[in-house]
Amino acid sequence: MTVTISPVVLRKVATNEAIDAELRDAIEQQQLFDWVLHWQPALYERLKALAAARVSPDNWPQSAHWNWVAKLNEIKDLLAHQTLCVVCEGMTQGLMRVDTVGKRCRLDSQKGLNLVYIDYLEVAPWNWDGPYFDPPRYRGIGTILLRAAIEIRLAEGFKGRIGLHSLPQSTTFYERCGLANRGPDAAYQSRLPYFEMTPEQVQAFLNRGSGK
Amino acid sequence: MKFYISKEWCLTAAELEAGANTLGAGILAMNPGPGEMASAPSSEGDEARIAFGQFVTLARRQRRLAIEALAKAADLDIGELLAIEQHDPHFAPEPRTVYQLANFFGVSRARLMELAGLTRPKNTAFVEQAIKFAARSASVAELNKEEQAVLEGLIKVLSEQDSR
Repeated sequence: MTVTISPVVLRKVATNEAIDAELRDAIEQQQLFDWVLHWQPALYERLKALAAARVSPDNWPQSAHWNWVAKLNEIKDLLAHQTLCVVCEGMTQGLMRVDTVGKRCRLDSQKGLNLVYIDYLEVAPWNWDGPYFDPPRYRGIGTILLRAAIEIRLAEGFKGRIGLHSLPQSTTFYERCGLANRGPDAAYQSRLPYFEMTPEQVQAFLNRGSGK
Repeated sequence: MKFYISKEWCLTAAELEAGANTLGAGILAMNPGPGEMASAPSSEGDEARIAFGQFVTLARRQRRLAIEALAKAADLDIGELLAIEQHDPHFAPEPRTVYQLANFFGVSRARLMELAGLTRPKNTAFVEQAIKFAARSASVAELNKEEQAVLEGLIKVLSEQDSR
C-alpha cells in the first residue's frame, strides 16, 4: 500500500508556532501502535481528571469499566476502510474513517444525495481543549481532517457534502465549522446529534483563510 | 490522494478548535465505546434511579405537598428535587438529599441510597422489586387507589431494615 502524504500545518499552542505536519491518506500499523502506547494512557489520565471534577456523567459514565481490548478490535478494522490521519513531530495526532458509499443526505434541501459520511474522527487526547485539561499541544487537526473528507468528494466531481454524528461534547466545534445540527438521532442507540453540510456551507468553510 | 491545503487555511481554520473539547465524531470515538461496559450496570442503575424518582413523586403527592413545599419541609434544593422527579436517569442526587428524603418519608436511608444509585445494592432483588412497583404507576393529578397501593408497596420495600 502506497501512502500519499500531503503537507499541512498545525498550530503549536504552547509556542504559537506554525508546525509542519503530514496528512496521510491511510491509517497504518504505526498509528495503531501510537493509539495503544500513547493515546490510551493519555486518555486514561484525562478521564480520571473528568471523573474527579464530576463532569457531565452523560458523556463520561463514571461507573463504566473500560474495555480497551474491545475498542482496539474496532480500531483495527480501520485498516480495512478508507482512512486518513494527521502525523506531526513523529506522532499520530488525529484519525478519521469515512464511508463514501453507504450513506445518503438527510437535510430536506439535499435529501437522498450522495455524501461522505465520517464514521469516526478522533484527535489525540493531548490535543483536547477543555476546562479540565492541560492546554492542547496542537490545533488544526480536526479541521484538516474535516476538509480532507470534503476534498475527497470534491475530487469525485460532487459538491463536498459531508455528514457525521458528533459526540455530545464536541457539537460546538461542528457548529463552528458551519455544519447544520439536526439534533439527537433517535435511530442511533446513543442518540448522538447528527450534522450535515450543504454545498454553501462547504464553500464558506473552504473560504476560511483566503480573505473571502 | 494528494490534498492541497494552504498554510493560511490551516492556521485560520485551526482557531475553530479553540476550547472545542475533544472533537470526536462517530460512535467509535465514544469513550467507552459501544458494548464496552462490562456487565452493563448502567441500565439497571438507570431503572433503579427512575424508581427512586417515582417513589419521591408518589410519596410527596400522598402528603399533598407541592415540590416547593417538600423542598422547604425537608430542607432540599428545589432544582435537585425537580431533576429527581423528572426521572432523569443521568442525574446523580447528592447523598445529603437522599438522606433528607429518607428521613422525611421514614424509609431506610441505606436502601434509598442504593435505589438512587449512590451506593451499590447488596441485594439486587429489592431494587428489582422497587422497579416493578414503580413501573406500575401512571402519572395523574390525584393519587388513586392503585397508586396508593403502589406507594405502599414501595414504602414496604424501602422500609425493610438492613442490618445497621
